[in-house]
Amino acid sequence: MSFLRPLGRRLRHLFRRRQTEAEMADEMRFHLEQRAADFAADGLRDADARAAALRRFGNLASIQEQSREAHGWGWLERFGKDLRFAARQLARTPGFALLAIVTLGLGIGANTSMFSVINGVMLKPLPYAHLARLDRLYRVTAQNPEGNIAPADFREFQPLQAAYGEVAAYTPANVSLAEPGRPAEMALSARATSNLFSLVGVQPQLGRDFRPGEDTPGRDRVVILSQRTWQNRFGGALEVIGRTVRIDGAPHEIIGVMPPSFNDWRFLGGIDFFRPLAFTAAEAADRTGPVLRVLGRRAPTLAPEAADRLIASFGAHLATAFPAANAETHWRRVTLQSAAAGSGAVAVLPLLLGLSGFVLLIACSNLANLLLARTMTRAREFAVRAALGASRLQLLRPLLAESLLLALAGGALAVVVAYWFRDWAAVRSTGDNGEHVDFIVDWTVMTWAFAASLATALAFGLAPALFALRLDLNHTLKSGGRGPIGGRSHQRFRRFLIVGQFALAMILLAGAALFIRGLDDLNRRRSGWESRQLVTGTIALPAGTYGDDEKTTAFHRLALERLAALPGVASVSLSSSTPSIIWPEIRKFVVEGQDRPATGREPAAVVNRVSPQYFATFGTRVLAGRVFTERDTANSPRVFILNQAAARGLFGAQNPLGRRIARLDGAELRTGEVVGVVNDVQPVLPDDNPVVFQIYQPMAQEPRRESELAVRAADTAPATLVDRIRAAMTELDPDLPVSRLQPADATIYRLNYQNRVLRDMLGAFGGLGLALASLGIYGVIARTVAQRTGEFAIRLALGATGRDIIRLVLGSGVRMALLGSAVGLLGALGVTRLLAAAYPNLPTNSPLILSATTLLLVAVALVACWLPARRAGKVDAIQALRAE
Amino acid sequence: MADKSELFPGTLDMLILRVLSRGELHGWGITNKLEQLSKSALQVDEGSLYPSLYRMEDKGWIEAEWRMTENNRRAKYYSLTRAGRKQLEHEQALWDRMSAIIALVTQSV
Repeated sequence: MSFLRPLGRRLRHLFRRRQTEAEMADEMRFHLEQRAADFAADGLRDADARAAALRRFGNLASIQEQSREAHGWGWLERFGKDLRFAARQLARTPGFALLAIVTLGLGIGANTSMFSVINGVMLKPLPYAHLARLDRLYRVTAQNPEGNIAPADFREFQPLQAAYGEVAAYTPANVSLAEPGRPAEMALSARATSNLFSLVGVQPQLGRDFRPGEDTPGRDRVVILSQRTWQNRFGGALEVIGRTVRIDGAPHEIIGVMPPSFNDWRFLGGIDFFRPLAFTAAEAADRTGPVLRVLGRRAPTLAPEAADRLIASFGAHLATAFPAANAETHWRRVTLQSAAAGSGAVAVLPLLLGLSGFVLLIACSNLANLLLARTMTRAREFAVRAALGASRLQLLRPLLAESLLLALAGGALAVVVAYWFRDWAAVRSTGDNGEHVDFIVDWTVMTWAFAASLATALAFGLAPALFALRLDLNHTLKSGGRGPIGGRSHQRFRRFLIVGQFALAMILLAGAALFIRGLDDLNRRRSGWESRQLVTGTIALPAGTYGDDEKTTAFHRLALERLAALPGVASVSLSSSTPSIIWPEIRKFVVEGQDRPATGREPAAVVNRVSPQYFATFGTRVLAGRVFTERDTANSPRVFILNQAAARGLFGAQNPLGRRIARLDGAELRTGEVVGVVNDVQPVLPDDNPVVFQIYQPMAQEPRRESELAVRAADTAPATLVDRIRAAMTELDPDLPVSRLQPADATIYRLNYQNRVLRDMLGAFGGLGLALASLGIYGVIARTVAQRTGEFAIRLALGATGRDIIRLVLGSGVRMALLGSAVGLLGALGVTRLLAAAYPNLPTNSPLILSATTLLLVAVALVACWLPARRAGKVDAIQALRAE
Repeated sequence: MADKSELFPGTLDMLILRVLSRGELHGWGITNKLEQLSKSALQVDEGSLYPSLYRMEDKGWIEAEWRMTENNRRAKYYSLTRAGRKQLEHEQALWDRMSAIIALVTQSV
């Protein structure tokens, strides 16, 4: 480490400077004394000998200076001095310093916060062992690139574990959780293969893991709690281990508690507890119901590309071996890390980071303008110093030190903003069970803020510095600080900055406005249904009590009757999904009497199983035929209702009523008659890729224990019904919880929270950009007006009116704003494209928003220019000319 | 006394290294030695020795140690390191080549 030794010496010199200094003085004194002694020996008197020794030695002060420099820290000391000087300069103009730091803090803060989102979602590694080898396996269908896997297909994969590595699976479901003496609650449970935790390398913090073999029926009555559930519901008590709780009516023993790190909000974050995945033989043989989410840990020797080939060839094998279920599907592998981030986030987050970068750019150009003005007021000082022989570097150093100091202070403020944002995002995203997003501010984020500060300092510090270098000494010294210093190129540069600012502000505002309006539309739009008077909630009938379809149907009927009888209720329905529900069931259909398409190419539709009053409750218009009735039961002929798109898609111009269609369940065909056609219903989530065909079946013909309850209020506010509904349901079955029971609009609001967080951020970016841009144009116009006072006075003296002057000033401002907006318009169109690609379901009706944004920008420019313009119009010609 | 010559820039380091190659010395000792060896023909501000010493110390070519002189005074003794020896050889070779070239050119014209 020979190169380290000199460094060590240097550091010693730096930190023990006083000692080094003393040693140096000592050494030189010794030299001088020896030399003086020599001279004295030659016969000189003491004083003369000392003087002669000094002469021989040379310029003592200069040599000591050179010696200090030789230690290699001269530049640092100079730099320190520059910074101190810059700090004093800034302290003399606290208003400017504060404005600059706040501008930068908000600009860098917006950028850093956005980066912390990217860091939190995409970059921060999931807290699992061997993360690089963890995969999600997807079954890709035409409708879903991230499809789940049927149990039989999963079982088919087992022998391949020797080649690929270990696989695990889980499936989430709403269940009821009850303990003696407490009302039942609905919770999100995941049933998982017994190796899930060991596969990701996380062990329970308390108690034990599942044992191999516990994932068989009869031995599966054990449960492992998530840390959150343990804390929130069991108060973090150590003695929960061994306690018995009732899950869906069946007793389960609590055997473990997972550590806090395990339920990362990106993966398994919403799961309240885990149970073993125990399939009966019949369930395990099912190839039609893709319910399993599969993850795997590649063998260390298996390269990612080889794994891709392995997975793809297995998918191909399934497609040929079981065409009824798997034709036209294939398998793919995605690393768990990127699967957890989600493909939507990966598409939209860099776009948002770019937009936040625009805010920073606007802040930078504002500061460049401010600093430029500041430098120009000191032009004379610079000219004098340059004339006295200061080098370029010497001229630049204090300027760069000043911008560096500002940027670092801004960066510090930005970190505060990022912390504040983290808390805000956590609060905004907190769900019913306490789950929330976590955008931590870690070293990666800090580094980003610091790097952004440095880049910023360069960006806005360089412009004034370069202008200072290009000063025309002669002219500046002669003009004595009066008149338009810096000349035309300087003016042009400032105009260019303003035009650039407005272009960026246009892109920002248009992007934000499009997104905000689109989301508000989605929040408000109820295409094909009506939500204002609705209360919705989810029920999941425990398998223990409602084991077979008859019991489920009987309970459904009873519940519908009771609820319909409540005062203030107009109608009630139960359905497997609603326009806002998250787990749609997609099935394939064929039409009787038509040529059957190739296997796997049959048209797909979202299936919703609904009770008779469903369409009345949701306000979906019936266009033809009839709705389901009480007489459509498990024993009556199978019937279907199509939405308009499905009716057109399957039957074209023909009348679908009375025709027969068949739902494909693997090889099996479930044929029934089309009895009605209803309006198309649009789902409310923006990133859902909507399946346009919707097909309804009577709930009673294929009942589901997990279903969505919907109650339409007659004339009262829906919120007032919530307690009555809950009481009626508890009366029916005290073990049966109703979750998320609230007005439908509130549920939708909650569903959109992630996008709303993004919307608020974009809104903040847009607002900030607009404020900064208006501040920028105000500053430039005000400055121009101040500089042109003399010219205005002459114009006035020659007969121009105050109004003419105002028009002149306003005109120049508006021209810049218009030019900037026009340039920005092109960028805004690009942003619209990107947004539309990331959110296919988001309405991006751009022309109106784009023109409104342009108007807004011009209006803001007008207001910002109005104040200095009015001042220009009031110039007192006589006084101004005298002052010259 | 003969006419005094100024040093070529950059050669002071080499001379110091050469002097130190015969054994450790303090700054004053190096000055004396240089004077002796050059038969007082060199015109150098004595003090300019010290920045050179510190620079070479920083570069690791020489190291220093405080010790007592024969007359019981504290003085800083410098000695060559291995890197310094290598540097000396390098500079010596460079110098030899340079002076050979200069001799060649000046004699051939």
